[in-house]
Amino acid sequence: MMRTVSAAETAPTTHPWAVHAEGLRVRAGRHLAVDGLGLALGAGVHGLLGPNGAGKTTLIRALATVVKPAGGRLRLLGEPVDGRADLRRVRRGLGYLPQQFGFYPRFTVREFVEYMAWLKEMPKPLVPGAVQRAIDRVGLASKANARMKTLSGGMLRRAGIAQAIVNDPEVLLLDEPTVGLDPEQRLDFRKLLRDVGHDSCVLVSTHLVEDVVAACSDVVMINEGRLVYQGTPDDLIAQGGAGDAGDSPAERGYSALLHRHRAEAAR
Amino acid sequence: MPGVRRSLDAADEEELVRRTAAGDRRAFDELYRRTSPWLAARLRRRCADDDVVADVLQETYLAVWRAAGSFAGSAAAGSAVGWLWTIAANRLVDAFRRRARLAQVPPVPLTETVAPAAEDEVMAARIGQELEQALLLLPPELRQVLRAMVLDGFSVRETSLLLSVPEGTVKSRARRARIALREALS
Amino acid sequence: MTTHPTLAVLTRYAEGSGLDDATVWSVEVHLEGCPQCRAGLAGATTDGTRALLDRVAIGLAGGIAAGPVPARRRRLWSAVHRRWLIWALLPWLTMTGAVLGCAVLLERLQPGLPSLVLLLAPVAPLPGVAVAWSRRVDPAWELIAGTPAAGLTMLLRRTASVLALVVPVLVLAGARSGVSLALVLLPCLAFTTATIALGAVIGVRRAAAGVGVLWTAAVVLPSVVTEKLPVVLEPGSVPVWTVAIVALAAFAASRADGYRRLSSHN
Repeated sequence: MMRTVSAAETAPTTHPWAVHAEGLRVRAGRHLAVDGLGLALGAGVHGLLGPNGAGKTTLIRALATVVKPAGGRLRLLGEPVDGRADLRRVRRGLGYLPQQFGFYPRFTVREFVEYMAWLKEMPKPLVPGAVQRAIDRVGLASKANARMKTLSGGMLRRAGIAQAIVNDPEVLLLDEPTVGLDPEQRLDFRKLLRDVGHDSCVLVSTHLVEDVVAACSDVVMINEGRLVYQGTPDDLIAQGGAGDAGDSPAERGYSALLHRHRAEAAR
Repeated sequence: MPGVRRSLDAADEEELVRRTAAGDRRAFDELYRRTSPWLAARLRRRCADDDVVADVLQETYLAVWRAAGSFAGSAAAGSAVGWLWTIAANRLVDAFRRRARLAQVPPVPLTETVAPAAEDEVMAARIGQELEQALLLLPPELRQVLRAMVLDGFSVRETSLLLSVPEGTVKSRARRARIALREALS
Repeated sequence: MTTHPTLAVLTRYAEGSGLDDATVWSVEVHLEGCPQCRAGLAGATTDGTRALLDRVAIGLAGGIAAGPVPARRRRLWSAVHRRWLIWALLPWLTMTGAVLGCAVLLERLQPGLPSLVLLLAPVAPLPGVAVAWSRRVDPAWELIAGTPAAGLTMLLRRTASVLALVVPVLVLAGARSGVSLALVLLPCLAFTTATIALGAVIGVRRAAAGVGVLWTAAVVLPSVVTEKLPVVLEPGSVPVWTVAIVALAAFAASRADGYRRLSSHN
């Protein structure tokens, strides 16, 4: 069965970054949670770090096109998503797992992932294979026909990750995906992240600095809605010294950067 | 049981999948018997590592067993063999991603341009003979990209992963191949 | 290929080398569609491949024994994924049914009043529409909001589900109180369209609440107090309602992009 390859598919890529934000401003309620953020992300696994209230969740929601930015420029996969833009094409290449992850309790895992695949407008003949593949990749094959309300917290989150990767997205956005996973599941999840991040752009927001160091090729730190730091995990470790708070080199680097940023902001 | 044997023999692959969806283990084994030699031969021509091929085959048929119901219900478009290949192709991509993470990408053999043997030329006229002649005129790396994208159905990202070649190179080779084929066929 | 490859070609294909690319291409295309040649290929498999396949078969048997049985076949897809909506709508539908039932009873008891069913019909589906599109009621709202399918078509599909449940109740109530069906259904449809159209500007929930309150205050209450049927619900107003439906639908369609972001205003 030969398929036709469209000219658009082989046209040279004009966008250097999968995610490109300039002076991004996003509101959460009345509060301006993201305030003048500039960000450029390419392929690989990017860890998003920051204290509570730094605007991580709001940033990820803006990138997932769930919330409209209040100002600035945002381009995903080369297409502008601020203002009046055609979001369908961009959304087909996105995968998103929110922090508060709701589901329909009476759906089975397979039905849930199939429903999301259908909502993502995947070609119908490809859906069953893609659903099984996503379920296998997150390790839920034995629970594929169980109802969602019977799953434990860790399995639910894995089902959420399955729906995020079912369409093999070019941009994958995960907000606190390791909540509820036991250490072994977290190890499997890191492997999955590295596999997916091989040729797509993954942004993982997390509180756990070790997750970032272990799985990510790039660390993005934000505080009070602004970019504090972007670099490799090794560079993050190099930022910290013996005098900084933290139990691991990465945590020390993190607190050193945070401390420095707060001092500069106070000036 | 000669009765069962005969009815299985008469069933085509789509019917075998429907029976597998109902939990019929014999129908599944028959499907495996009929299609795995073809799938194995095709996979071995895309991946030189037999362990990877074995993993991909096992994952593919396990997926067919587990999701047979969904396949049977939606296989209105496409044949069983067609989406068997789609599943196997996706698992091959996943296997390459896993290996790439461990920095052990199995080499994909570049098919050499072997001159057609005498008896092949004597074979009866084939449809698309001009296409085949045009293909032979292309440089091997363009043919490889074309096979991955057109025949196997891989996307640009997946082709770049399988052939260990940057995405930009895949796209430019595909464009050059299209131009060259158009010239050769006109 | 209309003709099948010879056994020699198949054997060389199975061996993995010795064929030129063009022949391999046509053989592979042919094999995808020809069960007989696949059987021939199976006969020509090399010993190495046969050993590989036996190994895989053993692994398969283990995997099958360890895992779940094949998934049941999907039936009535739309029924499955609309289930949650029906459950969420049930309380509102029961309330709507109860209110309409009371309206029918009141008409019997107080024949002097203008037809309450006629007065309440336009706003009957509005609570359901507001619920169907509400962030708080749909548990997977945030997941859905980022998908390509989120937009006017999804809203319309859900509204259609609401109408499919409300319209029969309305028809029953209308038949019992003996009013013209067109006068019951057309305003109902018009108000639903108005809510959706306004929803593009101020959000569906606010639109439903606003339209409902406006209608109750401006038409229902005066009509009940003065005991006269309002002008807008007289038999001659049917064409006006039809025109209104078409105009509002056109407006909603023109603002279709505004529904892409479910979060705005909702």
